Amino acid sequence: MWKPPTMQRLHLTHPLHFVIGLTLWCIWFVTVYGGHAVACAVAPPAPEQGVFTLVNAMLLAVSIAAIALLAVLTVGCCRMAKRQIGRLRFNATVSAGLYLFSTLGVVFAAMPIIGIPPCL
Amino acid sequence: MKHTIQRLTLQRVNSLGIALALLAGLLLTGCAGDKSILDPAGQAARDVVMIWWVMLGFGTVVLVLVTAFWLYTFKRKEVTRTPADERKIARRWIIGGGIVLPVASITALLAFGVPTGQRLLPLPLAEPPEVIEVIGHQWWWEVRYPGAERGEVVTSNQLIMPAGEPVDFHVSGADVIHAFWVPRLGGKIDMVPGRVNKIRLEADEPAVFGAQCAEFCGAQHAQMQLYVEAVERDDYEAWLAARQTDQLAALAENDQQHESAREAFMTHCASCHRVAGLSSGREGPDLSDLGSRTSLGAGIMAMEEGAVTRWLQHHQELKPGNKMPPHNDIETATLESLGAWLETLTP
Amino acid sequence: MTTINREATPEGDNIKGPHQLHSDLHEIWGNPRGLKALTIVNHTTLGLRFMVTGMVFFLVGGLLAMLVRTQLALPDQDFMTPDIYNQVTTMHGTVMMFLFAIPMLEGLAIYMIPKMIGARDLVCPRLTSLGYWCYLFGGIILSFSLVLEMAPNSGWFMYTPLSSSEYSPGLGSDFWLLGITFVEISALSAGVELVVSILRTRTQGMALHKMPLFAWYILAMALMIVVGFPPLILGSILLELERAVGMPFFEVAGGGDPILWQHLFWLFGHPEVYIIFLPAAGIVSTLIPVFAGRPIVGYGWVVFAIAVTGFISFGLWVHHMFTVGIPQLAQAFFSAASMLVAVPTAIQVFVWLATLWLGKPKMKLPMLWIMGFLIIFVCGGLTGVMLALVPFNWQVHDTHFVVAHMHYVLVGGMFFPLIAGLYYWLPLFSGRIPSETLGKWGFWLTFLGFNGTFLIMHWTGLLGMPRRVYSYETGMGWDIFNLLSSMSSFIMSAGIAMVLLDFALHFRFGKPAKHNPWNADTLEWANSMPPSAYNFVSLPNVETRHPLWDNPDLPSTMAEGQHSLAVATHGRREMWGTDPITGKVREIIHLPGNSWWPLFAAMALAVVCISLLTRLYPLAGIAVIIAGLFLLRWSWENGAHPKAAPDAEVAPGDPPLHSRTMDGPGLWAMSITLIANGSFFLSYLFGWFYLWTVSPEWRMPESSPLSLLGLILAGAALTAGAGILEKLVRGLRQGRDAGLVVGMYSISALGFVQVVITLWVLLSADLAVTETAHDAIILVGLAYVLLHGGLGAVLTLLQGLRVGYGYVGAHAPFEPAVVAQWWRYNLVTFWILVGALAVLPRVIGS
Repeated sequence: MWKPPTMQRLHLTHPLHFVIGLTLWCIWFVTVYGGHAVACAVAPPAPEQGVFTLVNAMLLAVSIAAIALLAVLTVGCCRMAKRQIGRLRFNATVSAGLYLFSTLGVVFAAMPIIGIPPCL
Repeated sequence: MKHTIQRLTLQRVNSLGIALALLAGLLLTGCAGDKSILDPAGQAARDVVMIWWVMLGFGTVVLVLVTAFWLYTFKRKEVTRTPADERKIARRWIIGGGIVLPVASITALLAFGVPTGQRLLPLPLAEPPEVIEVIGHQWWWEVRYPGAERGEVVTSNQLIMPAGEPVDFHVSGADVIHAFWVPRLGGKIDMVPGRVNKIRLEADEPAVFGAQCAEFCGAQHAQMQLYVEAVERDDYEAWLAARQTDQLAALAENDQQHESAREAFMTHCASCHRVAGLSSGREGPDLSDLGSRTSLGAGIMAMEEGAVTRWLQHHQELKPGNKMPPHNDIETATLESLGAWLETLTP
Repeated sequence: MTTINREATPEGDNIKGPHQLHSDLHEIWGNPRGLKALTIVNHTTLGLRFMVTGMVFFLVGGLLAMLVRTQLALPDQDFMTPDIYNQVTTMHGTVMMFLFAIPMLEGLAIYMIPKMIGARDLVCPRLTSLGYWCYLFGGIILSFSLVLEMAPNSGWFMYTPLSSSEYSPGLGSDFWLLGITFVEISALSAGVELVVSILRTRTQGMALHKMPLFAWYILAMALMIVVGFPPLILGSILLELERAVGMPFFEVAGGGDPILWQHLFWLFGHPEVYIIFLPAAGIVSTLIPVFAGRPIVGYGWVVFAIAVTGFISFGLWVHHMFTVGIPQLAQAFFSAASMLVAVPTAIQVFVWLATLWLGKPKMKLPMLWIMGFLIIFVCGGLTGVMLALVPFNWQVHDTHFVVAHMHYVLVGGMFFPLIAGLYYWLPLFSGRIPSETLGKWGFWLTFLGFNGTFLIMHWTGLLGMPRRVYSYETGMGWDIFNLLSSMSSFIMSAGIAMVLLDFALHFRFGKPAKHNPWNADTLEWANSMPPSAYNFVSLPNVETRHPLWDNPDLPSTMAEGQHSLAVATHGRREMWGTDPITGKVREIIHLPGNSWWPLFAAMALAVVCISLLTRLYPLAGIAVIIAGLFLLRWSWENGAHPKAAPDAEVAPGDPPLHSRTMDGPGLWAMSITLIANGSFFLSYLFGWFYLWTVSPEWRMPESSPLSLLGLILAGAALTAGAGILEKLVRGLRQGRDAGLVVGMYSISALGFVQVVITLWVLLSADLAVTETAHDAIILVGLAYVLLHGGLGAVLTLLQGLRVGYGYVGAHAPFEPAVVAQWWRYNLVTFWILVGALAVLPRVIGS
């Protein structure tokens, strides 16, 4: 099996972590937006149900999973940053910040899921 | 160096003064016009204006403060600081201004904004609201009342709605994308071919509103105006009743003195225009109650005596590019009789 | 990796004097004159050409804007007919966005980046040249439509169905679609090479976290171009196919959907705003520390903000579409994401503020423009947050409020920093100082005129004036504000004219500048003023973010040849190839010299563009083939070809030439290109699934028209070819090249087998491509596969030939690794496409 060299062991001080958190944010965003669009096209729940629909529940579940994953990576990078100096510390700190932003970004952009009926 | 700074601040003060004077002037004259967002006539529009004033006030404070701090950095005395102090000050600025300020602002904004948006949603109501269909054409409006008591009522370039109750507008586009927007009542919604979009609006009380296509739709986008009038429920029903097909047909047929005009209409106009009882064309605006409208050509000219004839003769100069072919090959007398007859179509 | 420390001693026997070195390097790098100046590939010259051309198009766009303001100055004007007015507004937006903003900033980056990171040129010089010619020709073709009065008139975002052949029957939309796609080739090629240059050619020791912030900004911009432009290219291809052939991608009756165009356009269009803003913010982050006399505070914060902006901007596109009737919940996602982008922007504003606060700022002319930027941009940012609020957006969308907001963001966020940057770097371009008086007058007129025009326009919008109306009637309360806007816009024009006059005059009348006139910290000021074609006589070891502050002697020691690569006897254009993270030297990159091929290829592409416009399809086909041949001929002079690197000799202790390793910049350029390609592919998949699920009258046939067996056979050939290629590359990595020729030829044969079988599948599917969007989009997918398979086969065939010529082998193992990436990409996309187009419909059904 061929593996890209960077994936063999991606240390938390590697600058690729600058983009992984936000990429996950983007993937979450596209999943939620796309999944929502498909759900509304295929099986829209009745407007009377308000926010208590399967669609909202699924979107919420995906969001919570994304938040959990990003939070773990944030904590990992934070810990790593404390143990390093110089370049590696810089990389881990910036990555930690970006993971934190991605986590909170999911939290913030997912908030409407608990308040708005899905397909109106 | 100092000279530059002083001049800079002076200029700044000057331009600020001018801006304030202008703003005062704007406020005095600002709310004229029947398309002003700032002159709301319905709850949805009123909410938005409220939010706008709050956002404007807050935004102005932020802008002035940030600018003032920036300018101040050029004037303040030099202080020597330890690197640790510098880091502390920097962090205070960045976290306070770069994170706390925007996060607090956008959270507040979203908390206000989402409920306001929900008021515009066509959520199910205990009593189903009146439904009016609006279809955009290049460059005129088709308006249909599917809920009228004795069968659907159709008109064009005018929209009469009941006041004091929510109305659901189901909008669509016949050719390209247009947008339905009555600024004093609330937000706009696109009229997309192949789709029906819904928006709920409510007018507080009887009044006339301006409306205009908001999505760029080609050469005459600027001249795609819609006359909107909110009337009391009773008047609304009377208005609808007068436009039932049988009523309109009687109006179009019974008048003996316009026989030749009717014939000319059947020869030249009927394939595109509908006059109830005579023809069923849908390419151009429905003309069954033309005489009762306030304007012609989707707002291009006021309806007055002789206006229809003038429109028929010069419509390509008045509204260049509109889809009605020029009438150069039709005799003036014929156009005049057509105009005179169409003006009588006032239910 | 061995550490290279080869700081030469000037007194050494073998070292020539600095003057001799200069003339030796000039011999290799210098620009030819006369007709041969068309062959120049040097980044300094091409960067200037980009910027000068951009300024010319800026004047065109500005003139169009003045026409618009003249028409709107008074109610009921008929200065222009509705059709001409619509052409003028459409072209104003198009020219400013595509022919001014992007190329101008790319030109600045092309000029600046190698100088800032201590390199001698960009890493693909011929690509720079191709990019410039594509931009120039595309721009000329597009602007020519104005002269013909055939310019596009459906608005600069070309919404379907207004832009489709039924409602825009003339050539206007075709000019737009073809011209813009042509210009985008330029943007993409610059994007690719800027990424690779920044990552792989920084001077020795310049680790990622030590590079100038401007390079971070440009890295983000370039990556965003690479990912952001392909959706629009796909959209343009689909719309042009609909217009020319009648494939109903955006037509409801044929199963298409006009909203798909809006998605594809704004998937590009929103990132585009940040593509324009980021480099401008990069200028601000470069200038503020210099004029504050201290390093920027919060370098890490800025890197953080850049990364966040770059990504979040891809999650905002629907906020341009809040009124199209998307469910409220989806709108709320985009509303929230749009507001999130305020955070990184605010961070940057306060980083700049803190830097000024802790420094000793001086109000020089460039700083004046930065102040103008700050006020206007903060104002535009605030209205941007307002617009992200859905109910407010529903009211002011498509009114003059949005026009005002957009100009605050774009003029404030791009034009003001750009002028600041130009005033800052002019002494470097020309060695002269522009006039302070003229510059100040220019600033104040521009600043006041701008605010007079657009601050008022917010109000006009709130009073209900929609955008893009060619006229308005009196009595709405709009008259006075439109008149004020128009008058102010002429004041602004006068200001801009003064600035441009100042620029033009200073080349002749400006006072000579002293070296590093602003006491800046970055390496570009170590150049001579104006710079030489090779930038630096010797390449320093830089381990600080502020090389010129920490070592003020650096410019002179570099010019004396005291640092690395101060050798010119080998006749190669050389610079360092370094590790993308640590900046340690890995190899010597040797660059190709001046070449006619980019110009010829661009000319052939221009013929393609024009013949598509005039519907001479056979000619277009021939021109495509000719362009392809030119490009392949160009690629022939690469690697171990005698014209690229006659011998592989390097000085003792030096690393090898990149063409003799397995990890040259070409590999990186291919990866970045494939990212762009992947973005195109994902946009295509998005289009397929979007139409499938959302399009109102989508028709899926009962059974898939594609032969699954045929596709599996084709895929088997592709998989086998890719597998053999991997094996060969693994061998080369270990120094074995036995059986390379046979291997390459058989891989190529397998590639052709794949193409032939796929073609058979396509032909036997009997698609009604003008009837249904379903069949049309399948055709596009299979055409994509055919193109990629065919190119893969041709490239491996050429590799086989090159092995025979001795340009490729164990001694020069580099190129097969590049081709292998292409095959790998084909393999992945082919199977995904089979799954999406042929398997899923069978599983799910219609």
